[in-house]
This record gives sequence, C-alpha cells and structure tokens, in this order.
Amino acid sequence: MGEMEVDRADGRTASQLRPLACSRNTLHRAHGSARWSQGDTIVLAAVYGPKAGTKKGENPEKASIEVIWKPKTGHIGKLEKEYEMVLKRTLQSICLLTIHPNTTTSIIVQVLGDDGALLPCAINASCAALVDAGIPLKHLAVSICCGLTESGSVILDPTKAEEQKIQAFAYLVFPNSPLSVLSKGSSAEDDEPIEHGTITSVTHGVMPVLDYFNCLERGRAASAKISEFLRRSLESQTK
Amino acid sequence: MEQRWASTWRMSVNERKFIETALASDLRVDGRRPFDYRRLTIKFGREDGSAEVQLGQTHVLSYVTSQLVQPYRDRPNEGSLSIFTEFSPMADPSFEAGRPGEFAIELGRVIDRGLRESRAVDMESLCVVAGKSVWSIRVDLHIIDNGGNLVDAANIAALAALLTFRRPECTVGGENGQDVIIHDPEVMEPLPLIIHHLPIAVTFAFFSDGNIMVIDPTHKEEVVMGGRMTATINSNGDVCTVQKAGGEGIMSSVVMQCLRVASVKAADITSKIKNAVETYNTERALRKVKRHPLTAAHRVIVPDVIMKNEQVENIGHRPDKNSRQDDEMLVDTKTCTNSESSSGGRHTDPFVGGSSNWDPYPGRVGKLQDLPGPLMVIKEELRSDEMVIESTPELSTITSSSGTVGASGVKQQTNAPKSLKDAVKSKNRKKNKASTTTS
Repeated sequence: MGEMEVDRADGRTASQLRPLACSRNTLHRAHGSARWSQGDTIVLAAVYGPKAGTKKGENPEKASIEVIWKPKTGHIGKLEKEYEMVLKRTLQSICLLTIHPNTTTSIIVQVLGDDGALLPCAINASCAALVDAGIPLKHLAVSICCGLTESGSVILDPTKAEEQKIQAFAYLVFPNSPLSVLSKGSSAEDDEPIEHGTITSVTHGVMPVLDYFNCLERGRAASAKISEFLRRSLESQTK
Repeated sequence: MEQRWASTWRMSVNERKFIETALASDLRVDGRRPFDYRRLTIKFGREDGSAEVQLGQTHVLSYVTSQLVQPYRDRPNEGSLSIFTEFSPMADPSFEAGRPGEFAIELGRVIDRGLRESRAVDMESLCVVAGKSVWSIRVDLHIIDNGGNLVDAANIAALAALLTFRRPECTVGGENGQDVIIHDPEVMEPLPLIIHHLPIAVTFAFFSDGNIMVIDPTHKEEVVMGGRMTATINSNGDVCTVQKAGGEGIMSSVVMQCLRVASVKAADITSKIKNAVETYNTERALRKVKRHPLTAAHRVIVPDVIMKNEQVENIGHRPDKNSRQDDEMLVDTKTCTNSESSSGGRHTDPFVGGSSNWDPYPGRVGKLQDLPGPLMVIKEELRSDEMVIESTPELSTITSSSGTVGASGVKQQTNAPKSLKDAVKSKNRKKNKASTTTS
C-alpha cells in the first residue's frame, strides 16, 4: 500500500522497527530483572517473586500482580497510574495465577528514556523480567505500537516526535506462544485461535475501523519479529 | 503498608557471626581490605545531565533537569538546587513505594548538605533576571539496586550528572528588557553549571564497639554493623558534612582517623569522576563535530594542536599542518547516510549489559562487553567510530561561534578515529571561549 511513500525522520520505512536490545539479570537484589530498549526508549523492569499475602481488595484464591511505575523525573500522576493498570491487567492474563494462591508478585518499572512507544517497551521489559525471575507464565507477550498517518498508512514503532504528529496510534499486545515460531510454514493449525488473539489494545486519537484492523494486522506481523528476538535473547543468555 | 506481605529478610546468626569473626582478623567477606572501595563505574546517558553509577552491586541513576522559576524572596539573585531521592522498590524488597522512609530522607539530606550548603554549585550564575526568574536545578536520584553504601554511590551519581549537565542558553530581551527567551540547544550551545568543588561522601561502618572500622560497607555488612559515619570531604581537604546519627559511640581519635582516610579517598574518587566526565565531554564534542560537518571546517584553524603519534587509518598525509587538521576534523559524509539507521543502536551501547543485542553491527557489541571503566568504553567507540556516525546531514544549523564556513576545508574527507580526540580538546576550548564571548 503506501509503504514506501511514508517518509520518516530517521530514515526507517513504515514497517521498520528501531533496534531492539534486551539484557536480563542486570540487578542483584531483584529476583528477576530485564532492560529493554527500542531505539532511545529504554525501560528497566524488576520483579520480586511471590511474596506472601495479598492486598486487601485482591482475590486470595489467586496470585496477584502489583505494578509500580516509576517515571524518569517528576511526580507520579494519572498517566503513570493508567500505565500501571494496563500493565497489571496485561500481565495478569499471561501469568498462571492459580499456581501460587495468596501471593503477590511485584513488578517495578523504571523509565530510563522515553522516545515514543513507552508502554509497549515496558510490557516487553516486564515480560522478560518475569521470565528471568522464573514466574510461571502461560505464554509470553510481545507488544508493539502502530501509528496511523493522515494518508492512512500504518507506521510501526513511532518515535515521540512521530507520535505527536500522527493522528492516531495504538499500543497492541499479542501473545507469543512457541507454536507461532514453529509453525512458520504451515498455516491452518488448531492453535490458530491462540495466535490470533490480542491481549491488550490501547488507542489514542481517532481512527476509522478499517484502519484499526489494518493496524492489528501489521502489528501482528511485526510482533512475530519481536517474538523471535525475545525468544532468542531469552534462550541465548545462560546465567 | 501491610507488613504481612512485605518480605522481611532477616540475617541468620551464622552469617552474622561469620562476618564479625572475619572482620576481627581484618578480612572482609568480598575479599577487600578494610579501607578499599569497591569497583566504581560511571556511565553517562545520551542526554546531558544523566549519569549511571555502579559501586560494586549498588546501582544509582541520576538525572538533572532545569526550569525557570521565581526566586525565593530572601535570595532574589540566586538560583536553587533541589535533590529528590527515590528509593525504588526494585532496589530492595523492604523499600516500599510511596512515602520515603527515614533512611531515604537522611540520604537526601546528607547529599543536599554536601552539595548545596557547601556551595559546591554556584547559585548566582543561575540568575537571569534578579527577583523575577532564576534557574532551578532539580536532581533526581533513583536507587535501583541496593548493594550497600547508598550514600556514597548516590553522591557520586549526583556529582557526575551535575558536571555533565548543560542548561539552555537564555537571553533577556523584549520590550521592557524583562522577557526571557530560552534558546533551543540546536541554535545556541547550552552552558554547563559552574561547580566550585566536588564534595565526596565517604561512609565508614563500625563493628565490635567501635574497634573495627571499614569503608564502603556492603549490604550484608550494613546489617551487622554497630554504627556508621559519613564524612563528605572535597579534594582540598575541606570537610563539608559529617553525619553520624546514632549507633555505637566511637572515640574522637577514631573520628580523626576516619577524616584523614576520607580525604585520601575523596581525592581518589574525585580524579575518577573527573576522568569520566572528561571522556564524556570529549565524546560529546565529537558528536557535535560530526553533526556539523560543514561548520567544523572553520574551527579547524587552531595552530596549537599537537599531533600525537597514533595509528590513524586512511588519512591522506598532507604536507602542511592546517590541512592535516582538516583530515581529522571532517568526516566522510557518505558513511553518514549509510549508518543513519544504526544511530539508534549506537546509543544503546553504553547500557547494553548482556550479550543479546539486535544490532546491524554485531562486531561492536563484543568489544564493549565486560569493560572495567568508562574510559575503555569510549576508546573502543572511537576506534570503531569510522563506520557508525551519529549524524543527520540535514542539520546544517550553525552554533553560536560561527564565522564564515571555510569552503576549502570541505575537500578532505577521511576517517580519523583516535587523533580526533586531541584535536577536539583544543577545539572545545575555543568553542567555550567563543560561546562565552557571544553570550
């Protein structure tokens, strides 16, 4: 479609992601930690594995997840609370909550750099940190930000400047199960319902419905790349 | 905060006895001698005023930001400096989010006293319009890993960030001479803060009724210790702060000994910080040179550049000195466009801890792993610099000290990795001189 027509400031094409980097086990006290960076957006996530007891409003029959979001500078405001809530709900859907009932797992997210696509970066970092801590998960989650320009074309992984210019963008989280990596050639497997699910979608701005579906398609295609990278980095780093 | 689900870690009696017995024989658990510091690593982020300090296992981040505000009424022509410490829950399971505990407040106060009350940072130079607008500097310290001795690490982080911070240049103009115009960093070079001296905090831990003292306690030693004392001293030997809040009583002779040891350590750490900042400034100036390939030409006319003998690849040797400098200063613009897309990857390099780095130039990552200090990191980057250049050729804005762009300088375009360092240093001086005269 309008792929090559989009002119991005750093010279990327519409479907090109920024360089990804992931390093695990960077902190000594935390049970699990990961640092994820996409270009200049860098997020450090730390996990303190199941602690006894749950907070007052939580269901004691299941494990509960607690997310603390720390911005780089400034006070904690509504935006940080919203990010905490989205992150918590996303991670709740990927963790196996029934294995350790009446426990709390804390995930602390520290923003080290913000150049667009902050929430997806944080979700990716948290997922890697959970793996590093050994928390049982159903499957991994990969997150991507898709932006919609005025011309109707979808750009992936926008920078902060791009996010402010475009009319709408969406943060999308897709599941990353091992089957999505193995069954690359063949299609129409019985695991298709899992692969085609969307865990989280947070949109900003106004976009037509068809363009939103377009974003979903592009995001899912790109998430396969991120999944590959995530799995490679998790497997290659031996403790 | 519900205590039932906050994890409280208690040290076992065995561990405690082991540490105490070892200290009685002058042995520390991690193999250090009593007056040895752990390994100190200072790294800087891409922006000015962001530093990351690792002292052994303790990890602290610091960010400095500035804002124009109204001054306090009793000090109308002084700026302000405020320090915010964040004990992130990721540093220690006992740190809780929300209100800072008493230890966090104590740490903030010790650093505050050391920096602000000792007048390390010049406040009067931060005044723009007396009584109306002054610069307010805010230092955010994030403790992300508690490996013991947070005060020292946080202090070093705050100093490193303040030394590399640049505040925007602003001029007073407008109709009545009261409006302050803040200039974009691209248009006018931002200015560093004026820092008179570096107060370094040195922490001592006392064991067994004040007989044994060690420097830079680890997290486990902190649990076992009977008392602690922090002395903030600068390299001139001035005592900025002494903090001993409770704990075991120690004799005054021990206090004097501690201060003497602290002044030695302070000198050592000051030199480490200065080296790291100098390397960062060199690299920053290097980045500035590459971003303005056209304007770099006019800065080349520096007669006092001395060429050190270093391996320089691909330089066409010219007979006269001036054009040799041209070779080093300018950079092949063709390679700029090729590696633009990898500019993002380059920035992540100083912070990539592990081996997994999806990067189009994987060769570089291997070089940057497991290096002892910041100096090594930058040297490696300089050597491999010719391929990866962070530049956007469309930026042709000229900085404040611009003269006529020498068209002759543009002819020689070669890659010059290491010798740029020497050339850049003197250029830096010239640039600072020029910017102060124009401001």
